[in-house]
Amino acid sequence: MKALSLYQDRGTVVHRVDSRSKLLYILSAILIPAVLPGFMPGLAMLALSILILATGKVFGKVLPLVGFSLLILASIVLIQGLFYSGNKQLLFSLWRFGFYREGLLFSGGICLRVMNILCAVSILVLTTRPSDLIESLVRLGLSPHLGYVLSSVLQIIPQMTATMETITDAQRSRGMETEGTLLVRMKAFLPLIGPVVMNSLVSTRERSLALEVRAFSARSKKTFLNPPQGGTANTVIPLVLLLAMAAAIVWRVMQ
Amino acid sequence: MNKIEIRKLRFHYSAGEEILSDISLDFDARSTAIIGQNGAGKTTFVKLLKGLLQPVSGDVLIDGINTRDMTVAGLARHVGLVFQNPNDQIFKNKVLDEVMFGPSNIGQSPDEARASALAALQMVGLADKQAENPYDLSLSERKLISIASIVAMHTDIIIFDEPTIAQDHAGKERIKAIIRELAKQGKLVLTIIHDMDFVAETFERTLVFAEGKVLLDGPTREVYGLPGILKQSHLEPPHITQLYNRIGCQGAVLTVEEFIAARRAGTGRPPVSA
Repeated sequence: MKALSLYQDRGTVVHRVDSRSKLLYILSAILIPAVLPGFMPGLAMLALSILILATGKVFGKVLPLVGFSLLILASIVLIQGLFYSGNKQLLFSLWRFGFYREGLLFSGGICLRVMNILCAVSILVLTTRPSDLIESLVRLGLSPHLGYVLSSVLQIIPQMTATMETITDAQRSRGMETEGTLLVRMKAFLPLIGPVVMNSLVSTRERSLALEVRAFSARSKKTFLNPPQGGTANTVIPLVLLLAMAAAIVWRVMQ
Repeated sequence: MNKIEIRKLRFHYSAGEEILSDISLDFDARSTAIIGQNGAGKTTFVKLLKGLLQPVSGDVLIDGINTRDMTVAGLARHVGLVFQNPNDQIFKNKVLDEVMFGPSNIGQSPDEARASALAALQMVGLADKQAENPYDLSLSERKLISIASIVAMHTDIIIFDEPTIAQDHAGKERIKAIIRELAKQGKLVLTIIHDMDFVAETFERTLVFAEGKVLLDGPTREVYGLPGILKQSHLEPPHITQLYNRIGCQGAVLTVEEFIAARRAGTGRPPVSA
């Protein structure tokens, strides 16, 4: 079944890095440019993220996400360029509107930060199977109950879409119009949503019974289905990231 | 007149992965079973008959109406489809209201709808449960409610998707009687089904689907008389037919009664008519 996820199974070296390292990478990609002054750290981090995305063969999948956020970013550039409170030095004018250096620099900083976060999060989202991510979060101390809730949400939405389609077909087969005016659609609402709610209530009960018979809430220590992803890379990467963050903070404090 | 005519029907969800290829068929009033392995295209086929899907090429004519020219809700006057899972349609909290929903949708007046619904509930044997909440009933009873709610629409064609699921012997006998009664009223009953014994006892005509094509089409007795081709589509003849052949008799008996009659008569040949 289709799952609700952007995960791309490309089997590259980036996919083999464990999700803990990728989570730490997100933290560094936000923290380091925020701590260090100027545009250079942010640009460097962005370049690194793009390099990693390209290695993971998922760069093409980031572009639609970037395109979507560009719309919002463009409006930020426009508004800050025109109206930023510290605007002093006029850079250029379009028709009657003047764009100022300070506002454009400020909005440039915001854009860079957004792109950084977007690309860093994309590395995690596009190259990590959601179930692996949740498993490693549970390994890090997340409650298994919460982990289960997270993973079932990812599965349940596509499942409900499929059920909804079947129910729509079943009710149309009984002569119910589902297309047309607002009134027609409103009349169609109850016959469609009723079975969805009933089915999910019933299946929730069945699911919890099925979990309980497999000792889901047993108090004893649990083992994991998959062995933890070991390897030198998965020790070295977090270490390097932690050191880089610490170094950035120390450097900033010393200044 | 043929109730359904299918001309050069082709269908696929995504190009290159053909689900149904070049099917031409006619259905008259004979009750017909559609059998075949999972994934053979049976459910897709009935969805096309119901207008829930549109052919990629070719035409489906229901009582002379092309399914391309009418909405699903419009076709509902002509074709009724009982879905596999009754939970996908039941939403009222009274059995009677649930059964009246379809008839009211296709223009029966409240009194007519009530009368049709009561008659249909009588037919499926749930007349005494009309005031109950469908979700307080068992799955097999809910299945019968979903059957009643289509029967009450008085369509000329009724399609069942796996009607015997979750039914005990009594339930199966009940459904068999319903199908025979509907056929007697001159309606076309089409059924997707995996229960070969039920097919042998109930349907006049049988279609075997395999990989998007109609592999066999004929009177049920002829189809079950070809175990070689059935095996090719991973199907087996009914148990009683298998037993008859394993004790060395030739031909296809379809019911226990036929088996006994043939054995008593001491012939190895099947009776001439059912």
